[in-house]
Amino acid sequence: MHIQHHPILGGQLHKPVTIYFNDQPYKAYEQQTVAAALMANDIKRLGLSRNLVQPRGLFCTRGRCCSCYMTVNGEDHVRTCMVKVEEGMKIYLNDEDPDVRREFCGD
Amino acid sequence: METDILIIGAGPAGLAAAFEMASKGLDVTIVDESITMGGQLNQQTQVIPSLPSSFQSMRGFELAAHLTKQLEEYDIRYLLGHRVIGFYKDGSVGITDEQDVFAVKAKKIIVATGAAENAVAFPKWTLPGVMTIGAAQTMINRDFVQPGKEAVIVGSSDFALDAALQLSEVGVHVKGFIEKNAGILSRDLEKIEQVKKMGIPIYLDSFIKEARGMGAVEEIEIEIGTRVLTEKVDLVCVDGGRSPILDIFYQLGCSFGYQKELGGWVPQYNHQFQTDRQDIFLAGNAAGISTQGVLLVTGMLAGINVCEAVGAITKTIADEEKDFLWKELEILETKYNPNIWEARNRHMENFAHPVIKEQFLS
Repeated sequence: MHIQHHPILGGQLHKPVTIYFNDQPYKAYEQQTVAAALMANDIKRLGLSRNLVQPRGLFCTRGRCCSCYMTVNGEDHVRTCMVKVEEGMKIYLNDEDPDVRREFCGD
Repeated sequence: METDILIIGAGPAGLAAAFEMASKGLDVTIVDESITMGGQLNQQTQVIPSLPSSFQSMRGFELAAHLTKQLEEYDIRYLLGHRVIGFYKDGSVGITDEQDVFAVKAKKIIVATGAAENAVAFPKWTLPGVMTIGAAQTMINRDFVQPGKEAVIVGSSDFALDAALQLSEVGVHVKGFIEKNAGILSRDLEKIEQVKKMGIPIYLDSFIKEARGMGAVEEIEIEIGTRVLTEKVDLVCVDGGRSPILDIFYQLGCSFGYQKELGGWVPQYNHQFQTDRQDIFLAGNAAGISTQGVLLVTGMLAGINVCEAVGAITKTIADEEKDFLWKELEILETKYNPNIWEARNRHMENFAHPVIKEQFLS
């Protein structure tokens, strides 16, 4: 849920943008990060861990834990807690390794 | 690119250091991964207790704005949204804007990378909906997003209490604090009273036995002594304390010492906030986890020491300013927690006897 009236900071969400998660449109606001905007729309599972195949989501919001990796506008492994939303942004789950890793059998 | 001083980190310590140096005519460059200045102060809506005497009482985000504003009149180079990713052979710093990498040559570097929150592990702690208290606070105060409807807080530090109160204010139902120790960790009696008044239970000697949920946390089991309580929650905020962020010190080959009270492994430094690499200084939480007022003073001290080291001020002036600031640091840190002040002094005394040198630890 977006917080339209913050008890201390007041109303701060003024400029809405539309983002696309799995090709479906969702409402976000300009100053929000991608992971936060998805959480506001009740999307918490952002990817799957490779080894244990378990759901992963936002954890640290500081760009350190890398639990919020997603594919954003065609780029894999974007830390979505560090990137702000943009109009028309296309976001997909981080459910499998990108091609470059599959091809070269990285660790 | 060349600069007198490169500051890594635009949080309270980095900005306080920048002010000391820019106001003495040095050419300062600040790099930060984030696109906003002020670091973690930006999502602190609570009033910051015990600031240095030159500051009025204010809220965290107001302090961030104040520190940013006092730099306005100086010609400082800001590299926001940029990351330090390594060092060249000649000592230049490799900085990326996420597209290209370029070199910055600095006479002195102040590393003010701050702290990272530690995780608290329990079965299924990696489920979405489990996050650090700092993350929850960032969601509500920076991104204006309610991260859940029903929450528990694991921990009972000042910081955990702040997060719980702020979550409640935006409509999250906080169902309890889960504290593994036998007593509440916070020393802020006023905040403890506030939490109690709101009827939020504080479970002592307790821990999360397991979290459950399909794709996100839906339910947790709390073990309280011999009793097990099941709660429906969609948000679990964990407070595992904080540790200094050390990546850059590893890359620079600095030596480390362990001080539990300062957050674990901390780069070795002397009374000048200088590491065993003569050109590398440090400040803020990277020099030991403390309270915001102290972070500012360490930033000022590092800044003055660097000014003295490059000859921007005389030793007499530097000594006078440093004497005053060290007294202030002692007062602020002792008031917050005397054990941290003692650990800091122990750590500085150990400078001549580094524990770990050029070794990766994680």
